Amino acid sequence: MTHDRKDVDPGFSASLMRGMTQRRVSRRDLIKYGGATVGTLSLASILAACGGDTAPGSGGQTSGATVDFSAPPGDTINFANWPLYIDSAKDPDTGERIHPSLVSFTEETGIAVNYNDEIQANASFFGELLPQLQAEQDTGRDIIVITNGREFTALTVNGWVTELDPSMRPNFDANAASWAKDPDYDPGNKYSMAWQSGLTGIGYLTEKVSRPVTTMDDLMNPDIVGTSSVGMITGDMPDLVMINLGIDPASSGPAEWQEAADWIQMLKDSGTLRKFYDQGYIDDFTAGNLAASMAWSGDVLYYKIWENKPYEWVVPDGGALLWIDNMMIPANSANPQGAYQLMDYVYLPEIAQMITEWVAYMSPVPAVQDLIAQHATEESGEYAADLADMAENPLLWPDDALLAQTPFGRNLTTDEEREEWDAIFVPISET
Amino acid sequence: MPQDQSKDLALLTAAVAGQSGEEPPKRADQFLAKRRSRVAYGILAPGGIYLMLAFIVPLILVVYTSLQSGGLLSGGYQFTWAFENYADAFASSKTFIARALLYSALATVLTILLAYPMAYWIAFYAGRWKSTLFFLILVPFFVSFVIRTVQWNFILADDGLLFGFLKDLGLLPDNFRVLAGPVAVVAGITYNFLPFTALPLYVALDRIDKGLVEAAKDLYATKFEAFRKVVLPLSFPGLFAALVLTFVPATGDYVNSSVLGSNRTTMVGQVIQTKFLTEADYPEAAALSVILMIGMLVIALAYAKVLGTEDSTLAAAA
Repeated sequence: MTHDRKDVDPGFSASLMRGMTQRRVSRRDLIKYGGATVGTLSLASILAACGGDTAPGSGGQTSGATVDFSAPPGDTINFANWPLYIDSAKDPDTGERIHPSLVSFTEETGIAVNYNDEIQANASFFGELLPQLQAEQDTGRDIIVITNGREFTALTVNGWVTELDPSMRPNFDANAASWAKDPDYDPGNKYSMAWQSGLTGIGYLTEKVSRPVTTMDDLMNPDIVGTSSVGMITGDMPDLVMINLGIDPASSGPAEWQEAADWIQMLKDSGTLRKFYDQGYIDDFTAGNLAASMAWSGDVLYYKIWENKPYEWVVPDGGALLWIDNMMIPANSANPQGAYQLMDYVYLPEIAQMITEWVAYMSPVPAVQDLIAQHATEESGEYAADLADMAENPLLWPDDALLAQTPFGRNLTTDEEREEWDAIFVPISET
Repeated sequence: MPQDQSKDLALLTAAVAGQSGEEPPKRADQFLAKRRSRVAYGILAPGGIYLMLAFIVPLILVVYTSLQSGGLLSGGYQFTWAFENYADAFASSKTFIARALLYSALATVLTILLAYPMAYWIAFYAGRWKSTLFFLILVPFFVSFVIRTVQWNFILADDGLLFGFLKDLGLLPDNFRVLAGPVAVVAGITYNFLPFTALPLYVALDRIDKGLVEAAKDLYATKFEAFRKVVLPLSFPGLFAALVLTFVPATGDYVNSSVLGSNRTTMVGQVIQTKFLTEADYPEAAALSVILMIGMLVIALAYAKVLGTEDSTLAAAA
């Protein structure tokens, strides 16, 4: 490896890495409050909104934009991603922040990558692109990373992303994890390939609960968690509750949604609920205001492993929720060929390793686990121990038993479904 | 003031023209007016362009978005003069608008009760410490709004700095808490908007000629009467500015309730946020923003009417 992190940045420290490995979402809430609305009012979108008044009716199940992927790639890729979601290092010569995995790509292909960590929330970022997408213009991005959910679905059903040629991703075919291939929200990976992934389950403070929390029902038992001390994450809540009611979100309908809503109402009535969170639950969690909470595995495990806090993160008995952040090529991208090459390139195990060692998420390339274990044996001291921990963490490398317990959330494919879903769940968290 | 001057000037030039009965002075007048307007436009241009880009254009975009219809999953949203968005948005958010108005009104009253004596004392009695003291009020506000609010989350934590200590002393019951309830939200808004109240009040109070208070006392006014009949009316313009600067943004605030409140304290700002960031229902989110904006405008105009800013400005000038 010419771009092993240690070669690029001799000053790299394990503690710096810890600081960089926190779940991206909990960090982005601060940014969200400050920048969400500003971001959606970019000049480009204003101009596009004023100029491009496309006729309605193109809607429905349009097929994605098609592109000749055998054409030669352009010389630059604009890559939009979430903050702290790729390997980073300081260039020893220039002192600039670089991403070794991308540097490696550029060296091999000659294609420059303009990497921009500009995505703070799916909906606000999507809102920023919407005017250009509707006007069938170039959004200025060649790769975007969107979580499976309603914005993802809007991009695919409206034909706002480029259809991928399945014959042109050898690394993906050879190395992608089973769960990253053919997900129900994108059959055959027609439009998307996983970037990284994670789980939503339950986190708790061992000192604040009378016994370990193992089920979702424990959250409404004041004898276990106390009163006003449980947090729920609004967006992931319906799916996680359904999974734990024994309902497969994929086959759920309004009746099942109502069942989940009733469970949430029971939780509210039990007196244990403190608050519904968008994503800031981790602040109340670390402040000790919560005894237990719906939580993203990365958030809680970060504190447990790196800061030795008395926290636990568990997959509740009924199961946890699996989500994937996906790379996609917006329609009318200026360089879809280059973008697709890069999307496949990150499925090379040694490249995926560079990314995962930094971001500490579920990698869509299972071979990375052995590479990190190997890397641990080549290092020494704390850094080696950290790497070994990572390689051994069962939550980063889910086996079939765990995967059987962690379905995706309900993929809402029509506006009727979406509105029905919101009518059931939004009022619960607002009142 | 500039208007008065130009009037005076016009009168003066007219008088001069009448005296001589000749043309040239009129031309001079036109020339002067032209030059003056050119200068005025030149001075206004940077601010005007900035307002165009940073305020008017987004405002138009918000209104434009609020009249769109369609569906996220069926081709996106198109402009269709969809006024029903307004009815839908209002119907589904009445409670949250009412709650936002209530919290904001409470917080505004509290900030004024806190800021008025503070500004009064600084303006009248602080002497050479004036600027230092006022600077001290502003110091915390060099830190970001959100960070400050999140810090309160730690200070007010159930077993945190403040309550943890009091609970250890046995002064508070163990299950006592302020966070995730309306008290924390109103307190948070009060804290966050205090300088916006204090600043205009201080400016208005500092401008008052202290001799007027002396004069009132010479006329046998008690200290309180002097305050009530002289200082208070003269501070009305500042009070008006303070009310508007506090009440209007506080009503739309969503950070305090998000960070310090719970589902029992949801304010309209959070509803807009949810519609935008969770439901991706941009048209209704925009419609609700416009409703809120118009509501605030009406309230601000009502204030202006009640407090009569022009009269009090005149009073201040007199």
